[in-house]
Amino acid sequence: MNLLVFTKRVPATQEEELRIVNEGKKVDLSKVPYKLNDWDNYAVEEAVRIAEKTSGSVTAISIGNAESDEVLRRAIAMGGKEGFLIETATVYDDPNARATLARNFLKKESPAFDAIFTGVQSEDDQFAAVGGILAAKMGLPYVSMVIGIDTVEKDHMIVRRELEGGLQERVKVTLPAVFAIQSGINEPRYVSIMGLRKASKVERKVFKGADYEGDMKSMIEVNQWVYPPKKAGAKILAGELDDVCKELLGILKEKGVYQ
Amino acid sequence: MSYILIISEVRRGLFEERNLDSIGLSALLEKDSFLFIPEGDYAVNEKLVHKILKTSVGENAFLNPMLMINALQKIMDLKGKPDVIIFTSSSSGNECASYAAGYFNLPLVTDVSGYDKEKGVFYKSYYSDKIFGKFKPSEDIPRIITVRSGSFKANAVEKATAADVETIENISPVEGRSFIEYVEEEKTDIDITKADFLLSVGRGIGSQDEIPSYEDLANLLKAVISGSRPVIDKQWLPKPRQVGTSGKTVKPKVYLAMGISGAFQHIAGMKDSDCIIAVNKDAEAPIFQYAHFGIVADVHKVRDKLKAVIKGT
Repeated sequence: MNLLVFTKRVPATQEEELRIVNEGKKVDLSKVPYKLNDWDNYAVEEAVRIAEKTSGSVTAISIGNAESDEVLRRAIAMGGKEGFLIETATVYDDPNARATLARNFLKKESPAFDAIFTGVQSEDDQFAAVGGILAAKMGLPYVSMVIGIDTVEKDHMIVRRELEGGLQERVKVTLPAVFAIQSGINEPRYVSIMGLRKASKVERKVFKGADYEGDMKSMIEVNQWVYPPKKAGAKILAGELDDVCKELLGILKEKGVYQ
Repeated sequence: MSYILIISEVRRGLFEERNLDSIGLSALLEKDSFLFIPEGDYAVNEKLVHKILKTSVGENAFLNPMLMINALQKIMDLKGKPDVIIFTSSSSGNECASYAAGYFNLPLVTDVSGYDKEKGVFYKSYYSDKIFGKFKPSEDIPRIITVRSGSFKANAVEKATAADVETIENISPVEGRSFIEYVEEEKTDIDITKADFLLSVGRGIGSQDEIPSYEDLANLLKAVISGSRPVIDKQWLPKPRQVGTSGKTVKPKVYLAMGISGAFQHIAGMKDSDCIIAVNKDAEAPIFQYAHFGIVADVHKVRDKLKAVIKGT
């Protein structure tokens, strides 16, 4: 089985303090480290496991600037066969634009595939949309929030998708199809420096994004970036620990959860 | 015709509460609101919207993005294009919304959590909620929006009269994806989402050996024990006990967080609790931003002292 996995290089902002600059027109990411989108990491791992079981192959694809090569190297180090970089000068914020570019690329280059994997969402824009838009534009079945793959057959897969509150839905999906992979589906393998070095010797193909723009257009645009409203913060219970604990129990009583 | 189409979510015969956020946003947008629901034996307040479109395809069909496309097509054929289509920002909401955006080539903004009525601006979070983007939609609507749970519920108010109900039939069936069954994630003795009082432990408790002692405290307090992601990843507590985006979203009356620093993924799963009390030795821990009460101290000392006070020793 041949699988294509879309991978995105994203700013790792969780531990960073972010600043809005240019009068709200830009978020300063210049000092933020970048990495493979967490959800895509799970998607690559899942694809590699299927490829290993079915004597197939995984091709990692990334849309972005030249530095996105880094996530392709990582995907190859995890067991991917090759990497395609669709190099674009601009960052397309609209998932519709990114999905259209991806669709145009797949149509023109027609790499063989049985399934396309993406992460459920990317950490930076949290849109959770590229996989669905891409699938619809290609006329393929789509299933997102995939948390378990039960059966892999030549013409279909049976997968579980995560709903809310611990509930899952088991669905049968005819191949080829697009799957958006949820975090926690597997334990992604460790990638060593040595592995990355070896992967960098595998050739990655670079394609010019402009060649695939075609009918692509951004339909939405952020006018302004703002900080979330500042929270009031906790009332700190201070003093002797004995008193603090009594005060805490008092709060619990007041809230009606403790007698 | 100018109207807003709201796609509802019904799960195992329950009209999900998050639908109220979609209805609330539609009220703010001040257009006629049409609620699309599957037929079923459940209650829905018919005064919240102007019109109800009911279909005999069951709730499972609403889980299928391909079938949703056919349903939307049918509705558009009968009613014209809606100005806005609103889904919930949920597993299926985002799945169907993105598929519809691709199929009908419509602008899409997911996870909308704010709307400025005066300026006509939508807010969507970026970078783990550290920054919000403001969107001013262009005039070429229709567009698709998914709504973050808890954002607009308060705006869903009853109208004087109940909506009239219309039936939508002959939605074309689909191939390619089919529902097999619902699956419970993992059988568990307790459902932390139902608890009134959660005692949640984090990485800060140090090791698995400490767990029994926190379980003791939880028993004394009649609280249910839960944990943050690191605790679950290390298998100190089972997966069904996980609070956070990849675990459970909880809203207890009291959420007592011990040794949890408050990564966003955790905050997202508990921030709507009525009362959040955080115990952490690091006064700068982000959880204190979201907590109502805080104790800056060693968690183990607080645990031991609480036990002593409860036992009256």
